[in-house]
Amino acid sequence: MEKEQYQQLEQNVTPKPPYLKNVAKAFFVGGLICAIGQAVSLFYIIFFNFTEATAGNPTVATMVFFAMLLTGLGLYKRIGQFAGAGSAVPVTGFGNAVISAAIEHRSEGLVLGVGGNLFKLAGSVVLFGVVSAFFVALIKYILVTIGVVSW
Amino acid sequence: MTLPLLVVLMLLNGCAEKEKFIVYGPSQNGSEVEALIKEEDYVERSTVIYYDDSMLVAVQIKPWEKWKKAKLEKKLQKKFEEKYPNKDVFVSADYKIFYEANKIKKDQIEDNKLNDKITELKDLAKEET
Amino acid sequence: MVIIFQSKPSLLAGGVVAGPLENRSIFSQYFDAVYDDERWQMKTNEQGHRKMIEEACDAAMKKIGVQSGDIDYFMGGDLVNQMTPTNFAARDLEIPFIGLFSACATSVSSAIVACLLTELGAANFSLAGASSQHNAIERQFRYPINYGAQKPKTAQWTVTAAGYALIGKHREEYPSIEAATIGKSVDYGMDDPFHMGAAMAPAAFQTIQSHLQQRNQKIYHYDLILTGDLGQLGLKLLKGMLVENGVKNEELTLLRDAGAEFYGQDEAFQSGASGAGCSAAVFFSYVIQQMRAGSYKRVLLVATGALLSPLSYQQGETIPCTAHAIEITMK
Repeated sequence: MEKEQYQQLEQNVTPKPPYLKNVAKAFFVGGLICAIGQAVSLFYIIFFNFTEATAGNPTVATMVFFAMLLTGLGLYKRIGQFAGAGSAVPVTGFGNAVISAAIEHRSEGLVLGVGGNLFKLAGSVVLFGVVSAFFVALIKYILVTIGVVSW
Repeated sequence: MTLPLLVVLMLLNGCAEKEKFIVYGPSQNGSEVEALIKEEDYVERSTVIYYDDSMLVAVQIKPWEKWKKAKLEKKLQKKFEEKYPNKDVFVSADYKIFYEANKIKKDQIEDNKLNDKITELKDLAKEET
Repeated sequence: MVIIFQSKPSLLAGGVVAGPLENRSIFSQYFDAVYDDERWQMKTNEQGHRKMIEEACDAAMKKIGVQSGDIDYFMGGDLVNQMTPTNFAARDLEIPFIGLFSACATSVSSAIVACLLTELGAANFSLAGASSQHNAIERQFRYPINYGAQKPKTAQWTVTAAGYALIGKHREEYPSIEAATIGKSVDYGMDDPFHMGAAMAPAAFQTIQSHLQQRNQKIYHYDLILTGDLGQLGLKLLKGMLVENGVKNEELTLLRDAGAEFYGQDEAFQSGASGAGCSAAVFFSYVIQQMRAGSYKRVLLVATGALLSPLSYQQGETIPCTAHAIEITMK
């Protein structure tokens, strides 16, 4: 059988991913995680001395803590299999990427193993996040200097 | 026919009951301040706490206007500064400040303590991390 | 060219040891042991992997009452970098050792080499097989175990199992190997490591076709043609290719896949099982036992393997695959 013919056969046999269902699942799980995050934020605002502006830090820390518990117990990957992007995109997904790498590489020691591989999956997020933030700020600065927008 | 009408009336009644604009402080220029705030249609609720020359205006911006929260806060601040140049006015759109201001009104804190509380909340609102 | 073994080396015993999840396998009743700790109480997954290989070899040797000192050659491999679990197991077994890498087709490629040595008269007893350990291999080829990535329906689950066969000179009452075909590295342009079945099916097709042609056989000459780990989708594709080639639908029922059937209908395993241990575990337990019981007289075992690395995938390469076949008969 020729290559093109086989590729055609493969296209026919391979099941298409259920995009709509996946989108719905991601939407609900992602929304749920964000709702929990909002609840955590409100908790810090009401019961502690944080304002809306300053509650971001402890909220993210708490969400990453939850992600750590779920990852360590092996539950986050089950959520991930169900929700896909819904659990990968929020900060809990970032936490899961870093923590799962840390757990995995413990056997090679703390410095080369854990330290060297901690950002194996999340490194791109950190790098491109910082780089894009730089460029966005640069563009805004140029636009303000020209006078198109104001701070 | 009567049941839905009753429900609607009760709901509307409930809406009117909630105090949306509260002014709390020793003297009675409350209505003036309230009118000033009601002029701004982006404010959903507000609680003003004042003592002598120190005034704290805590507002909650309407949902869709929240995108411009910082700008509206500054606008309101300028407005108050123009109206009351001899007073030390601080405007905040932060939920925490609003919540604490309501607590002050609920606990009916008076005099010196009130002054301290206002200063405390002003410092809190200025925190960045 | 097909290899014909005139002396018909025999599969004297098979030793198969598997991990806790493999207890769910429909073949688990044929395994020698299923452990409840995937690390075999060792500190790392790789050490557990090594221990599993040693246990499988011990199980095989015990069955005909030989010791490692009686074995002439140890042939095997796994999917870990530089095959260290197999290398370390060889160190502990102290048998002359050649490590072989044919990815998930290693079970059959090592059996072929063992048969050649036996045919040559250079070996009385050889151990040949393969193994895989889920955690060690996922970490190397894909993501950390606890990472929440969503696997598509075409993905397969790497089994934790080791299967080793004891191959020796011909004995009437044991299944014997008559012929073998060594496959080429076949690339039909598939590039999705989460859809290995599609990459491997063409290789299986070519090897089966070549073997049948060279031996002047048709599918119906066999009681069973068992591929290693094409998975449900890969098996469908293989059948599609055979039908295109003139094979009748009734004959297709003789075609089965160890990976597709391994975990039964459990959807948690998507398209089925894979890994070097998948073909080894099923071939050297289920098939040998069924043949000795008289269920099958002539079987073609076709182990399939995907010859990629995490680096080749990242560099945008497609996935070449291979398939090796051995023809086993029983009186």
